Amino acid sequence: MISKYVESASSFAGDIDHLIWLVTVIVGFWFFLAEGVLFYFILRYTAQDGVKGQYITGEDPKQKRWVAWPHYLTLLFDVWIIIAAITVWQHVKQAMPQADSTVRIIAQQWAWTFVHPGPDGKLDTPDDIKLVDELHVEKGKTYHFELQSRDVLHSFSVPVFRLKQDAIPGRTIRGWFKATMAGGFDIQCTEICGIGHALMPARILIENHEDQAAWVMSKSPAAAATGGTP
Amino acid sequence: MYRMKKSHAPALAGLIFIMPLVSACHPDGARPTLSGAELYDSSCKQCHGATGQGQLGITTPAIAGQAAWYVEGQLVKFRTGVRGAHPEDYDGLRMRPMSQQLMNVAEVKAVSAYVATLKPRKQPTTLQGGDATAGAGHYGVCLACHGPDGKGNELLKAPSLVGQHDWYLFSQLKKFKAGVRGKHPKDLTGGQMQPMSMTLVDDQAIKNVLAHISTLSK
Repeated sequence: MISKYVESASSFAGDIDHLIWLVTVIVGFWFFLAEGVLFYFILRYTAQDGVKGQYITGEDPKQKRWVAWPHYLTLLFDVWIIIAAITVWQHVKQAMPQADSTVRIIAQQWAWTFVHPGPDGKLDTPDDIKLVDELHVEKGKTYHFELQSRDVLHSFSVPVFRLKQDAIPGRTIRGWFKATMAGGFDIQCTEICGIGHALMPARILIENHEDQAAWVMSKSPAAAATGGTP
Repeated sequence: MYRMKKSHAPALAGLIFIMPLVSACHPDGARPTLSGAELYDSSCKQCHGATGQGQLGITTPAIAGQAAWYVEGQLVKFRTGVRGAHPEDYDGLRMRPMSQQLMNVAEVKAVSAYVATLKPRKQPTTLQGGDATAGAGHYGVCLACHGPDGKGNELLKAPSLVGQHDWYLFSQLKKFKAGVRGKHPKDLTGGQMQPMSMTLVDDQAIKNVLAHISTLSK
């Protein structure tokens, strides 16, 4: 249902959506139930002429049930949410599937630099492709990313992937994603990082195999030398 | 003592729900026209300082007293990605989104005119080991565009070097030499500066010429 409003473009987006939906339904159920009981009591027991207020000590088991039963049920639902959350966390953040390729993501005030492997498929070689505010990935490929920050805390967020990961200066944080839908989507910084925080959007361009291969070749040193691309 | 009537309770509950929404409304959506000073105050002051002297701590240059045509030209370059879009240009990448806060050409012109009214100041020397006498010789190449007094030349689109921090000029010369600045095909003046920077063969030559430029800032 969430993907009706924000497209779902990664292999684990559905897991995150399911978790959000589960929490929303459980919390929503208890919220509306509690509010309903609260307003019912407000109306039912509004002060009336000739009726003296009663002081409730909380010792009567019949009255305590109104607190105790919801309490036990809430704990039960909490355990349900925690188990679901840990399962998703393990899948998305802890387990690292085998990578087909690796990209480096460097955050700074207020831009993103994306380092893509060149035709050799490896980072830290002369054919690396460095782009500002533009990340190119191939649909169906599993990517590892190395997230770094040049200055302050940032957070790399791709809403269509349901991916969000803090970038911390001095550390390289590794994660993964697998794009499942071709197209161009937003990348945001979701950690307040200074006066220009709102002004550091970027784009992720998810391409099929042929387009990705053509793009990599167009950015290769040989293509640049022949003036193929700026 | 006040006792709430039963019939008032739903109305009160509704009011409590509506009130936060009312506070979120803003009846006047019109954007006021900002002056150059107001624009500077909201967008530039935090990094370049109230008097436009720049800050070493966050590596922002002095812009006080820089000619309006130059400030405007650089802002346009930043806004259009001609400058400050290279992956290795850390400071330029910070300036680019800031320049894009200006909404239109009128705001660019207004803030540029304001910056030109700020008074330049002689900046303290931070680079050691520069030989001003040797640098005077190197400056012969710079002199053609930036002038013997270092105050720039509008016809040649060369900015003033007077009142600028030596560490900033050093970093920019290094960027020009490395192709981090002045490499964009549409950066005509940057493209002119790039080969000029190559005449300074090493860091010592850069320090020498900066030592000479600091003698002009009087």
